[in-house]
Amino acid sequence: MAPALCANCKTERALIKRPKNHAKLCKACFIAVFEDEVHHTITSSQLFYPGEKVAIGASGGKDSTVLASVLKTLNERHGYGLDLVLLSIDEGIKGYRDDSLETVKRNAAQYDMPLKVVGYEELYGWTMDQVVETIGKKGNCTYCGVFRRQALDRGAKMLEIKHVVTGHNADDVAETVLMNLLRGDLARLSRSTSIVTGDSRSEVKRSKPLKYSYEKEIVLYAHHKKLDYFSTECIYSPEAFRGSARGLIKQLERVRPTAILDIVRSGEDMARLVPGESPSSCACKGQKRAAMAPAEDDVGGCGSQNGRTPGNEMAAMDKQLRENEANEGLEIDVGKAMSESKMSGSEKQRDLPIRSGNGASKAVPRQVRGNCKRCGYMSSQDICQACMLLEGLNKNRAQIQI
Amino acid sequence: MTESNAAAGSLTRPCVKCRAQEATLDSRSQPVCRDCFTKFIATKCIKQVGILGKETRPPPPATKTGGPPTDTRRYLLGLSLGVSSTALLHLLNGNVEFQLSRGRSAPFDLIVIHIDASGDDSSPDTEAILARYRARYPRFTFHCVPLSSAVANLDLSSLPILSKEDEEPKDPHWWKTLPTAASRTDVARLLTRQALLAQAVTHNCQALLLGHSTTALAELTLAEAAKGRGFALPWVVQDGFAPSLPSSLLLPVPHGGGDGEEGVTGDGEEGGGDDGEVIKEVLVYHPLRDALRKELVIYAGLVDPPLTELISNTRENKDDRAVVSHKDLSIEEVMLRYFAEVEESYPSVVANVARTTGKLVRAGEGPGGERCGLCGMPLDEDGDQRWRGELGIQERSAAGTGGRLCYGCERSTGG
Ligand SMILES: [Zn+2]
Ligand SMILES: [Zn+2]
Ligand SMILES: [Zn+2]
Ligand SMILES: [Zn+2]
Repeated sequence: MAPALCANCKTERALIKRPKNHAKLCKACFIAVFEDEVHHTITSSQLFYPGEKVAIGASGGKDSTVLASVLKTLNERHGYGLDLVLLSIDEGIKGYRDDSLETVKRNAAQYDMPLKVVGYEELYGWTMDQVVETIGKKGNCTYCGVFRRQALDRGAKMLEIKHVVTGHNADDVAETVLMNLLRGDLARLSRSTSIVTGDSRSEVKRSKPLKYSYEKEIVLYAHHKKLDYFSTECIYSPEAFRGSARGLIKQLERVRPTAILDIVRSGEDMARLVPGESPSSCACKGQKRAAMAPAEDDVGGCGSQNGRTPGNEMAAMDKQLRENEANEGLEIDVGKAMSESKMSGSEKQRDLPIRSGNGASKAVPRQVRGNCKRCGYMSSQDICQACMLLEGLNKNRAQIQI
Repeated sequence: MTESNAAAGSLTRPCVKCRAQEATLDSRSQPVCRDCFTKFIATKCIKQVGILGKETRPPPPATKTGGPPTDTRRYLLGLSLGVSSTALLHLLNGNVEFQLSRGRSAPFDLIVIHIDASGDDSSPDTEAILARYRARYPRFTFHCVPLSSAVANLDLSSLPILSKEDEEPKDPHWWKTLPTAASRTDVARLLTRQALLAQAVTHNCQALLLGHSTTALAELTLAEAAKGRGFALPWVVQDGFAPSLPSSLLLPVPHGGGDGEEGVTGDGEEGGGDDGEVIKEVLVYHPLRDALRKELVIYAGLVDPPLTELISNTRENKDDRAVVSHKDLSIEEVMLRYFAEVEESYPSVVANVARTTGKLVRAGEGPGGERCGLCGMPLDEDGDQRWRGELGIQERSAAGTGGRLCYGCERSTGG
C-alpha cells in the first residue's frame, strides 16, 4: 500500500491521525492546524487585548506547557502584543512539586518568559505540610482543593495581573458538562462551559484558550514539538462524579471521536437554556466578546483541582436525593412544599453535600453571589471557603501555641 | 389500625406501605409487598396520564356525520415491543378497564403504533408478536408501520448521503448505509420519532405517549448531549408540545382502509379540507417518567399473566451481546450500559438527571424559527453562528431543498 499523503498539504506523508476527526496529516500540518484552531478560539472570543499582561497558570504538566508554547508562538506570529508571564503555585508539599517546578523553570528559560512561583505560605500563611501536621491526613484534600482554586487568582493579584489563562482542554470541559448533568447542577453547568470566567466584580479574569483542544492532541503536539513537560499522575483520585464522567467520555470518544467536542457544544448551548443564567450570551451572535461567568466553580482539569469530600459523593448525593423525595412525599405543610418547589424551579440549586464537605460552611447563609467579606474573593457566601478553612486552622494554631 | 399492626407483628419482614403483607421486593431501598409495588408503579403512571387528561380537552368532532363519539380523548402510543412501552400499554389498559368497571366512559381512545425499522415490509415475525398484543388488549387498535414508508415523503435532499447520487432512486432504507453504528442508530431513532408524530397527526390524536422510564430519559439526556443536541434537549425530554411537523411528513390516512380501523378520517373539518396542509400540534408525554427501568422490568414479571410472554425475547438479548468493536456500538448503547450501572447503585441520581433537564428552557420556537430538516427540532442560530467553521470540523455547504440540519444531525449524516 502506498503511503497515504497528508490530507492538508497533499505532498508530505501523513504520519498523524488526528484524534479529533481522524484526518490524516503530516507532522507540520498537524502542528499548524492545532495552532490555527487555538488562534481561532482566541480571536473569535476576543480573549486578549494588545498590551495585556497575561499570567499562564503553569504546573509543568502537558496542558499548561503546551498552552505556554502555543501562546508564545501565536503571540509572535499574529502580533497579539501580549506580555506573558508564567505563574506557578507551590502548595508546600515537600518533594511533590520539586520535579514539576524544575520543569516550569526550564520552560521559563526555553520560552524566555518570566516565572513567578507563589507559595501557599505566602498566600495563606500555611503550607500544605503544615496543614497536614495540624489537622492530620484526613480531610486535607478539602483544604488543598479550596486553596488551589483561589491560588492562581490570588497569585495574579499579587503580581498585579488581571488575566490568568489555564490549560483546561476540551476533555476537561466535556467532563464537567456531563458531571454537572449527573449531579443536576445547572448553575455550574452554565458557568463551567464559558471560555472566560470571572465577572465585573472579580479582579482577575480567567480563560481557557485550549477549551476546544483534545487532550490527545495536546499530548501529540507536545510530543512532536518535543516540549519539555512533567508527566504527573495526579496524586489524588478524582471525585466520584468526575471520575464517572471521565470514564463515560473515554467510551464515547471511542465510539465517535467528535463526541468530546459535541458535548462541549451541547454544554455551551444548554448554558443558555438555564433559567436566570446570562441569556445575554445568545445575543452575541458570535461576534461580541464571550459572555463572562463567575469563576467560583471553575472546571478542575485534573481531579486534584477541586475540593472534594472524602467518601463516595455519588452515594451521598443519592441518599440526599432519596431523603428529599421522602420528605416531599410526606410533606403536609403546603406552604413549605410550595416554596421548596419554587426554589428548585429556577433560583438556586439545593445545597448538596458534595459542595460543602465540612459542616462548618453549612452554617453560613448562602447569598446569591457576592464577595468574601474577609478577602474579597468571589464567593456565594459571606465568607469564602478558603477564609472559613483558614479561620479553623488559625484557631487551631493559636491553641497549640497556648 | 390495630389489626394491621397485629398483622405486621406476625410478619418477618412487613411491607412498609401496607404493613399487612410480607415484603417480597425492594422498592427505592424499602421492603414492599407485590401488591403495593404494582400499585406504586400504576400510581406513578396514572398521575401523569391525569395531567395529560387535563391538557387535552376532547377533540372536535372528526366528521359531522357518524364519526366516533367525540367526548373522548385520543392518544397514540408508540410501541417498541420492549419492556417499558409494553408496561405502559398494560397500565393504560388497566386504567381504561378500571374506569369502565366504575360505570364511567373510557377516559381515552388509544391507537398503538409499532414503527418497524427492520425491513421492507413488516416482517412476519413482527406481525406474529403484534397478534399476541392484539389478543391480549382487544380494546385497542394496533398498527405496524414500516419506517421506510412512514418517512418516505420527508424531504431529505439536504442530506449528503442522498444528494450525492441524484440519478438513482433513493434507497428506502438509506439510513442503514450510514458509515457508523452510532449514526445509523441515531438517525433511525430520530426518524422513528418523526414517524410516530406524523402518525399521531394523521390519526387525529392529541398526544403521543412514549414508554420512556426515568432511566431511559436520563440516557436520552446524556446521549443527545453527547451528540451535540443540547439545544434541543428540553424539547426531547420534557413533556409538552412537539415542534410542528413538516407537512411533507403528514401522509393522508387511507380512507376506510382495510386495516379494521373505523372512524379515522383524514379530512379534519377545521382545516377547510385543503389536502394534508393542516399542521396540528401534538403533545408528547412520557407517563412512565417517574419509574426506573429496573422497576418496570420487575413490574412486567409481576402482572398476571406476565408481560414477559408478550415481549419478544429476540429484542432483549441485544444487551447481553459481547462488545465486538467500538465501531459497532452506538452512543445509545454506551449510555444504556452506563446507566444500568448507575441505576443499580444510585437510582436517585438517575432520577435527578431527567428532573434537571426539566428545568431547562425550550428555546428556538419563535415564529419564523427554522427547524432541522431531519430531527425537526428548532435550529440554534446563535450557537451555529458561534461554531461556524470551527475547529477542524468540515463545514458542509447547505445544498438541496430540505433545509438546514442541526449540528447533531449534520454530525450523524456527515459520515
Ligand atoms: Zn501536510
Ligand atoms: Zn475569603
Ligand atoms: Zn404492601
Ligand atoms: Zn436535527
